[in-house]
Amino acid sequence: MSISEFAIPFRYKTDRSTPGRWIVSHAIHHWFIFLIAVIGTIGNAALASLPAVQFGVVFSTLTGGSPNLEVIHRSVLIILISQVARGVLQFGRNFGFEVLAQRMERDVRDEFYIALLGKSMTFHSLQSVGDLMARATNDIREVNFLFSPGINMVLGSVNFLFIPLVIGAQINPALLIAPSVFIVAYFAYIVHYLKILQPITSKVRSTFGIMNSRLAEAIDGVETVKAAAQEENEIELFRQNIKAYRDASVEQGDVEARFIPLLMLALTLGFGLLHALFLFEAGTIPLANVISYFSALSLLGFPTNTSIHSYSQISLGIASARRLLAVMNAENNLDQNESGYAKTMRGEVVFKNVSFPYEGHKSALQDISFQVHPGQTVAIVGQTGSGKTTLVRLINRTYDPKQGQVLIDGVDLRAWKLDALRSQISIIEQDIFLFSKSIYDNIAFGKPGATREEVIEAAKSAQAHEFIMDLENGYDTIIGERGTTLSGGQRQRIALARAFLTDPKILILDDSTSAIDSKTEDEIQKAIKIASEGRTTFIITHRLSQIRWSDLIIVMRKGKISEIGTHEELMQTSRAYRNLFIED
Amino acid sequence: MAFYAGLDSETYDRQYSNKALLSRIWSYARVYKKQIIVILIAIFLQGSIGALPPLLISKVLDQGIAGVPDRSVFYLLAGLVIIVEVLGFVFYYINHRLLARVIADVNRDLSTDAFAASMRQDMAFHDHYSSGRILSRITTDTRDFSTFITITMDVANNALQSLITAIILLNTQWRLAVTLFMIVPVVIIIVSFYRSLARRFTRQGMRAMANVNATIKETISGIAIAKNFRQEESIYRDFKQTNDVSYEMNVKRGMILSVVFPTTRALGGIATAVIVYTGSNSVIAGLISAGAWYMFVLSIDRFLQPVMALTSYWTQVQTGLSAAERIFALIDAEHTVIQTGNYIPTQVRGKIDFNKLTFRYNTGKEVLKDFDLHIQEGENVAIVGHTGAGKSSIARLIARFYEFQSGELLIDDRDIRSYNLRALRQHMGLVTQVPFLFEGTVEENIRFSQPEITREEILALAYQIGDGEWLETFGEGLDTLVGERGAQISMGQRQLVALMRVLAQKPSVFILDEATASIDPFTEKQIQTALNLILKQSTSVLIAHRLSTVQSADRIIVLDEGVILEEGNHEQLLKSGGYYADLYNTYFRHQSLEYVEKAGQIFHSKQNKISSSQDKAAA
Repeated sequence: MSISEFAIPFRYKTDRSTPGRWIVSHAIHHWFIFLIAVIGTIGNAALASLPAVQFGVVFSTLTGGSPNLEVIHRSVLIILISQVARGVLQFGRNFGFEVLAQRMERDVRDEFYIALLGKSMTFHSLQSVGDLMARATNDIREVNFLFSPGINMVLGSVNFLFIPLVIGAQINPALLIAPSVFIVAYFAYIVHYLKILQPITSKVRSTFGIMNSRLAEAIDGVETVKAAAQEENEIELFRQNIKAYRDASVEQGDVEARFIPLLMLALTLGFGLLHALFLFEAGTIPLANVISYFSALSLLGFPTNTSIHSYSQISLGIASARRLLAVMNAENNLDQNESGYAKTMRGEVVFKNVSFPYEGHKSALQDISFQVHPGQTVAIVGQTGSGKTTLVRLINRTYDPKQGQVLIDGVDLRAWKLDALRSQISIIEQDIFLFSKSIYDNIAFGKPGATREEVIEAAKSAQAHEFIMDLENGYDTIIGERGTTLSGGQRQRIALARAFLTDPKILILDDSTSAIDSKTEDEIQKAIKIASEGRTTFIITHRLSQIRWSDLIIVMRKGKISEIGTHEELMQTSRAYRNLFIED
Repeated sequence: MAFYAGLDSETYDRQYSNKALLSRIWSYARVYKKQIIVILIAIFLQGSIGALPPLLISKVLDQGIAGVPDRSVFYLLAGLVIIVEVLGFVFYYINHRLLARVIADVNRDLSTDAFAASMRQDMAFHDHYSSGRILSRITTDTRDFSTFITITMDVANNALQSLITAIILLNTQWRLAVTLFMIVPVVIIIVSFYRSLARRFTRQGMRAMANVNATIKETISGIAIAKNFRQEESIYRDFKQTNDVSYEMNVKRGMILSVVFPTTRALGGIATAVIVYTGSNSVIAGLISAGAWYMFVLSIDRFLQPVMALTSYWTQVQTGLSAAERIFALIDAEHTVIQTGNYIPTQVRGKIDFNKLTFRYNTGKEVLKDFDLHIQEGENVAIVGHTGAGKSSIARLIARFYEFQSGELLIDDRDIRSYNLRALRQHMGLVTQVPFLFEGTVEENIRFSQPEITREEILALAYQIGDGEWLETFGEGLDTLVGERGAQISMGQRQLVALMRVLAQKPSVFILDEATASIDPFTEKQIQTALNLILKQSTSVLIAHRLSTVQSADRIIVLDEGVILEEGNHEQLLKSGGYYADLYNTYFRHQSLEYVEKAGQIFHSKQNKISSSQDKAAA
């Protein structure tokens, strides 16, 4: 992680080599809570076995001829106190693990988020936001569950596996046989069981996913389904999808039904009892010990029954940790270049034989060359997938070209100081992201210290002031609250205002909005015109009027420049271009 | 989920009487009657034999006290314990396997019925109720109901265990048994108190967590923009604050939830102490044997655990029943579009007549009143007007998505109600404003309404549009995956695929609700080509948003509040300077090439005099 665009150090260092180590390296910082939880766990288990012992004590005095009331009272008191104490310890255990799990969630998410902030723009432009969100919420929650109930249940129940060992050893070492055999067989089986269960549970999940997504599509697209008279086909498709899900669920049920440890428990109880009775017959142990021993053996039922759930919880948690690490450890291929070129930009942009092969993506670029003078407005036109967006992303070094070079003011981008480069270039993306904050805060986002006058001035230049003032709360309107939804054109103008405040030397505008009416169109046109004044501007646009009046027009087709020139030149040379300006 | 039960009711929800609800549930369960009986027997046997071991052991103990018994008694006892436990496993095995099947099958049956009902429902229904909520009834509620089956079986199992244990204990020594029973009400009170407490905290927590989750999601979506403006630190502060709040809330909730189990545990411990004490006294008094005492002690957990479980099941039973009610309400929701005949046309010419038709949505005000419109076979009609003028209603009435209240709608001079709806719609092609594609390939989507068409035929059609260049831009051509809802391809491309769908279908009637989204000029040209191909072969009703579409129509209808104000072609209407000219100025002016030329003078010259030149552009 030495190379990163932005670095806030996380509070402590973690080991990101394997999921297990990573989790431990986090958990270790909460050793105190872990200790409390473990004490609770062990204490709880130890006290759980006390009644079994006391039953034996009371039993022997009851059957010993003249019952000793004092012994009985003492045992009852021990049971009473120990079980109430056990309640307290159990609370310590459960709450301890709960706090531990919540702290893990908080810290892991914190570290994950810091790692995301440190990733390059390249990383973020390639990574789907939905996927990152799923990891930051669901996967991190799984890490939480790994501790509570996962480890809590495992540690808690494993303890109970050892109680019969302790009690058996106290009574007679020979009595260790039955529980020892059970424990070995039990763990051996659990490993095997998890191995066969895993692929089946993932099948259940994936079949449900397939069913659910088609179902959602069919309901959302019900108009299309009805218009095409395809209702019955959709129902048939649903039948097939749900059958796959049903079969997978049944398969899971069958595997769970074959949970052999229950059978092993039966044998252990039977043979354990028989063994104890033989020892009693031989006079080696008193009858009371038979009782204690059998009660202790019965405790094996608890871990046997809970094991199904708790172990798979842990393996789910580890799988999630692995997914989180995959993102955190992903390579970061750009560097800050702190000592690089950092002068004020004039805004001259040159592409020299730039190629950018993009594995598995359609938006590759091939041999792109052009020159833009400071202050010019460039329109980039082409169909989706022709490489328009990739091209503009090379300008702020979201990507580096694989061949050729991109120069601003005659300096190769790789020689620029990254911060100086980026702070002088502003990009307005196609999907404009606004925070659920006030409009004011959204505009001021790029320049936190801006005065109110500056913000309003920027909004006026972006032709946004008027519609903002029409909103009930003006600049203090919270976006997204109580149905405050803004149209694409309004969002775009707020984004333009946000960009104005930072006064970039190069503005890149991925303009895909469409005005419903001519008045809005006039305003957008005017805002873009003002935006392009005095700075080099690249506009990816669908608007013929923007294209028509740009200083330079670049027509992209399948990753190459198919036409380049002024409007007048292209009208002469390109039939496809000319076609756009002919009514049919 | 259970915590929100009842919070999201819909107007089609209905209250079923308990009897009706149960008999409806039974109608689904009845199919698996045999399996259910076997499961119940298995549960009964599992419960009954489960009560045996303590009884057996107490007998042996009593013999052991009397003196060392015969070896055969030991073998018998150990053998019985093993047999009982093994049988327990066998019954568990049978029960678990069968239950997994019954649950999966009932879940399948219910969700299939619910899905089929929602597919067959009117568009009015789907327009009114959010798809997310319908979806949750089909998946979540059916799953809640399946859980209800498991719970019912568990309840049966637990109740049986308690009951059997209670009977054995009563038979052994009633006074001691009654002492034990007295704990039950205390347990119930405490457990239900915690339950309501936990529910309140959980509900509050869930609401708060929803906010927290939203903020966490937003700060993650916002990373890209923060990097753009070098504002990583400020967005990190927002994130950190929310993350910490989330932690505190979770810990609070965790504390309440952590209290419940230890409390009942301690309660069980106190009960044990009481029984050990009073039991010992009974033994000393000679009321019961020491063996019986031991059996009592062993039975405490066996008796109390199910009682505690039963109190917590009650809410889940309620959840299950209300889930069932919601699913049935969806299945039973009434239709409004009703066909009176079942006429299957072999061919549709495409003549459409609205005669004195009146239409309103549900209880709203009239959208169309005494509406007359006659569209000739093969005619292309564009409908223009402000939002809410009733444009879409006309299209949706022709598609028979809605029922009208009075008047007539004739297709080929025949009442639209007398047609078989599926057959009629096979002759209609519809492209919605946001064209809807299904996950799969481009080819599968084109084939959606015409499953029989061959790949060659599709390709032949594709090459009629700009020499098929649009297909090349897809990367994989017809085999390109479009993603869920078509999200992997651009809006313009989706539009093209939707139009290809109609071209493949060759309908007699074509209904287009045109997209308002922005599309790159090259794709727009191709869309226009595809549109022209369709217009040539069908009667078309176009809800137009693009100037070129309006211009290509044979007749333009200017609609306002359900009334036709003007009709004619583009030039005539523009010249007459009426309503159409106004609409043109509002919606279409900026799409004209004239505007494109003027834009240079208006915006790109040094002076920005917009208002003065606006009217001129229109003229």
